[in-house]
Amino acid sequence: MAINRESNGYTILFAVIMVTFVGGILAFLATALKPAQEANVRNEKMQNILQAIGIEELNDVSRKEAGAKFNDYVIERITLNFKGEVIKRTTNSDSIKDVKDAFNINLLKQYKTIASKKERDYPLFVCEANGEKFYVIPVLGKGLWAAVWGYIGLKSDGTTVNGAVFDHKSETPGLGAEISKPDFEKQFIGKSFEEDGSYAPIKVLKPGLEKDNHEVDGISGGTFTSVGVEEMLERTIEVYYDYFKNNK
Amino acid sequence: MSEVAKREPLFSKKNKKLITDPLNDTNPVTIQVLGICSALAVTVQMSNAIVMSISVMAVLILGNVIVSLLRNLIPGKIRIIVQLVIVAALVIIVDQVLKAYVYDVSKQLSVFVGLIITNCIIMGRLEAFALGNKPWASALDGLGNGIGYGVVLVIVAFFKELLGSGKLMGFDIIPESFYEFGYMNNGLMLLPPSSLVIVAIYIWIQKSRNPKLIEN
Amino acid sequence: MELINLFIRSAFVDNMIFAFFFGMCSYLAVSKTVKTAVGLGAAVIFVLTITVPVNYLLENYVLKQGALSWLGEEYAEFDLSFLSFIMFIAVIASIVQLVEMIVEKYSPALYGALGIFLPLIAVNCAILGGALFMQEKQFPTVVHSITYGFGSGVGWFIAVVLIAAIREKIRYSHVPAPLRGVGMAFLLTGLMGLAFLGFMGFEI
Repeated sequence: MAINRESNGYTILFAVIMVTFVGGILAFLATALKPAQEANVRNEKMQNILQAIGIEELNDVSRKEAGAKFNDYVIERITLNFKGEVIKRTTNSDSIKDVKDAFNINLLKQYKTIASKKERDYPLFVCEANGEKFYVIPVLGKGLWAAVWGYIGLKSDGTTVNGAVFDHKSETPGLGAEISKPDFEKQFIGKSFEEDGSYAPIKVLKPGLEKDNHEVDGISGGTFTSVGVEEMLERTIEVYYDYFKNNK
Repeated sequence: MSEVAKREPLFSKKNKKLITDPLNDTNPVTIQVLGICSALAVTVQMSNAIVMSISVMAVLILGNVIVSLLRNLIPGKIRIIVQLVIVAALVIIVDQVLKAYVYDVSKQLSVFVGLIITNCIIMGRLEAFALGNKPWASALDGLGNGIGYGVVLVIVAFFKELLGSGKLMGFDIIPESFYEFGYMNNGLMLLPPSSLVIVAIYIWIQKSRNPKLIEN
Repeated sequence: MELINLFIRSAFVDNMIFAFFFGMCSYLAVSKTVKTAVGLGAAVIFVLTITVPVNYLLENYVLKQGALSWLGEEYAEFDLSFLSFIMFIAVIASIVQLVEMIVEKYSPALYGALGIFLPLIAVNCAILGGALFMQEKQFPTVVHSITYGFGSGVGWFIAVVLIAAIREKIRYSHVPAPLRGVGMAFLLTGLMGLAFLGFMGFEI
């Protein structure tokens, strides 16, 4: 053989060529596929928001359709601070690009990096369907293994639940993961966050007990996930309760 | 399995064996015990298992061919690292493609796609076969081992999904009337340990039918 | 307190072997006798404790979107996370090599004990798995990542030693012939995994 495969010079040359070549291919591919990947993430969020509104025609909206229909239903995107004051307001005629735009608020990032809930941003989506007004609120908390999150749709009074969508990163399939099933989500419909004119969080209780207007069945075998759902609802919705109260 | 061999009679006998052996006698999962990590963790649903098998197969075949083509160029000293880089690059490609085109599945597989890199089947075949054989034989070897891996994965997923959630590929299979008679889905089947038990039973059956594989 | 919880979680609840099957290949290969199991187990603890924090720093100061902002404003937009697999495995492979050389030079006794296991570790899924879970969990500080790496290593160690002990004993039992060896090891791991499920949600 003409070349000495064991020499240091050859080894280094080989390594350099390989790294450049592989790096080039990967960089090209990542750049080429990025738009499609980002569109997936964005459309899924839109799909979740639309489904959370809780009206018949949007229950089975697909991820693809969601991207197109989003602006027909979501008429306003509002970002609130902890006191329930508006810090940014955009409508469906504005494109989604400002970092403080409600759609661009990354709850998971804020949850991990901003320790105090008082300094986080609180996005709110104002929707209109069939002449009625709805609100959709994103929530995020901690399950047994990793993050759990969801979108809560409220009626125009700002306190009665009209729809709910939950999802999770890696809860146990068949147990904690059941929160993303319709059986669990449907229970929230009609429940209320208000009692005698003040805030009353929805509790996730042991399954099988009698339930009143502020309680739903938890998941048997998914206690930690249920606790996580309850905590994130209680912590987050309170902020919006103040907003709705001041804007009636 | 025999279908592949029949459809392409041009294959020499030796080449055919490259595909059929890994299905039974040298099955990468149950006999060589390689690549278990990713095999068992993604088997809660059939669809995930299938995507995972296809991904592994793609990486395995491509990796085998590339290493085989380069086998006279790779310096011996950094052999392992070169193989790792090739595999890692292929896996990144698979991961990016999944994220762009089958987003739901990529969400479920999450970190397990990355673990294809350390899937011992791939490194094992690269080291044991591709480094010493021609590209075509290496491709067949990759295909055979990929199928052998996929078959076990799909069988495990079949039982886990059927018994654990009463579904196959996400569709309800167990009729409603069964539940009315008191039939219950076995939640235990959805948890990780049950895959190990299913593989153990699979090995038991395989080895009883093929006693020459029995260990002493 | 948080760190103790993280340690317990990574060692028992999210046990690398029983909950995720990471590192099964080498695990089945060495769990025939307790002695080799202890050797490889120790090597895994060692390597995980080093590689997880190193990869953590890499992730947070090089790869993540905006991670390069310490270089200057214009780099803030760079997102190299698509390179993470290849970087992690490269870091792991080189650290393993480095550790091997250092141990060989300064502690021949330790090298005698761990030496043959170190090369095996580069392709142990537990190590890369540790790095990938670290990335997914987004720990706030490097101390968390050290704790996580160490805890996962300890969990792996416990699992491999326990199974090795059982496999040593079981050689004297009448196992059905087709199940001998690997089959029985799978079954045992499954049963142990069930036992470890009892730790789920365990917190101090």
